[in-house]
Amino acid sequence: MNLKELYQEIILEHGKNPRNLGKTDDFNKDAKGNNPLCGDNVHVYLKLNGQKIVEDISFEGSGCAISMASASIMTDLIKGKNENEAKEIVEDFLQMIKENPELKSEYLQDDEKTKLMCLSGVKQYPMRVKCATLSWHTLVSAFENKKEEVKTEN
Amino acid sequence: MKIENIKKEFPIFDEKIQNNDLVYLDSANSSQKPKVVADRINEFYTKQFSNVGRSVHYLAVAATNLYENTRSSVQKYINAKDKNEIVFTKGATEALNLVANILGQNYLNEGDEILITELEHHSNYVPWHFLRKSKNIKINFAEMNEDGEVTLEEIEKKITPKTKVIAITHLSNVTGAILPIKEITDLAHSKGILVVIDGCQGAPHLKLNMQDLDCDFYAISCHKMYGPTGLGVLYGKKKWLEELPPYQGGGGMISEVKKDSISYGELPNKYEAGTMATAQVIAFDESIKFMENIGIENIMKHEADLVEYGQELLQKNNSVKLIGSPKNKGGVLSFTLKGVHPHDIATILDEDGVAIRAGHHCCQILHDKLNIPASARASVGIYNTKDDLDKLNDSINNCKKIFNLK
Repeated sequence: MNLKELYQEIILEHGKNPRNLGKTDDFNKDAKGNNPLCGDNVHVYLKLNGQKIVEDISFEGSGCAISMASASIMTDLIKGKNENEAKEIVEDFLQMIKENPELKSEYLQDDEKTKLMCLSGVKQYPMRVKCATLSWHTLVSAFENKKEEVKTEN
Repeated sequence: MKIENIKKEFPIFDEKIQNNDLVYLDSANSSQKPKVVADRINEFYTKQFSNVGRSVHYLAVAATNLYENTRSSVQKYINAKDKNEIVFTKGATEALNLVANILGQNYLNEGDEILITELEHHSNYVPWHFLRKSKNIKINFAEMNEDGEVTLEEIEKKITPKTKVIAITHLSNVTGAILPIKEITDLAHSKGILVVIDGCQGAPHLKLNMQDLDCDFYAISCHKMYGPTGLGVLYGKKKWLEELPPYQGGGGMISEVKKDSISYGELPNKYEAGTMATAQVIAFDESIKFMENIGIENIMKHEADLVEYGQELLQKNNSVKLIGSPKNKGGVLSFTLKGVHPHDIATILDEDGVAIRAGHHCCQILHDKLNIPASARASVGIYNTKDDLDKLNDSINNCKKIFNLK
């Protein structure tokens, strides 16, 4: 195990100064995620246009550095992608966190992949995977505009 | 047995945990086990095993005697008046559920009120919440003050003519506050109110004397007392245990069973339905002997020194904020670190072999009051040393370094 791999500078930076934090003015889809045992919570807001492209995305929430950084990086990457692309990226990310050594999606640029791979250190900390994945599952739920809260605990 | 050498009695401290020596600061969650307790479980299963209280063969009689010996040891340890006031349960959680259940069945009426505190562990809130639904009972909360205490005055303020039960913790598992339960019990009894104590954190760390405390019920968690998991003790005044109805039905708790009538067994069998955690009960006798050998006064002195040392250490560490500064404090150091989430703290400390707990510690009401979702908690037991607390502080400093804190 390697703490430096988990708490890389970019994660600490995103954790401290999360991008796209706050409620988007004119969102049309949203969903909430909550891990009550550890106290992480997130609310993802989406503004989807007629072509199903994510024109704007933001989140509100609180939690550990891993969960905040993961949500921050996610919103950065998803902005401008269409719904299908976004869902494929989510799937790719979840597979990477679980087992895949690298990201495969063609919808991610190399520099975007590099940024996202910063979260791969979480793999070695099974108890923390739920922190990294909460906002991503919540994003999928936001596309569906689901009312029930997402949980990644248990 | 000298407390300075006590670590040697716990085999886990010979293990390397992720290549580190173990600094175990999670005893409020569960304590480690001395070798004598682990060995006793093995010995019972391999050489003496039988179910208790039923058969007449040699092993059954011997096992029954061992099982009842523990009951006598517990009685003596907590100075209960009668051996039959000791009921074994599957944990303190079950003990509290048992009390709430039987009082709900046959003591409380619609509109009655129960007074608990904002310090309570979910185990001393949720069982009473069930009665909100089933019996329309109201639950009131005595408030925690800025020092993380609940005072006698606050309890007195929250008592109403409808208060029938006060259910409170002996020692808060978050702020470490030791509540004045003897005074609270005196006050409650003067108003005809029953007192139920959640003694999970009290029993492992404080001298217990049921006849002096005079509370009506006291719940104990054995795995926090250097004993086995799956076992709790409910102390209940004989009068109540005799008067109130059974909790669970099954074998062992009955006197006579007919198609049209059932009569229940005498105490303590009445509350011990089904095959009990026999090996755990028998091994728990070793935990009590172990604590008696060291002496509860020595344990209290040792842990008070540790808490004082740890408090000073963490107070000097800027960025660390201790939760609660009660005048009378048990072995719990809960804290937050500015800008670092408790789960990140716990992960980083774990890498140094320092085991603490992060989260709401089953006390969401308390954390809501403090307006924080979670906290980090280091808690001490008899095996801890000042060196352990130095390592905790060093590891917190490591955490600050990673997060670029001063």
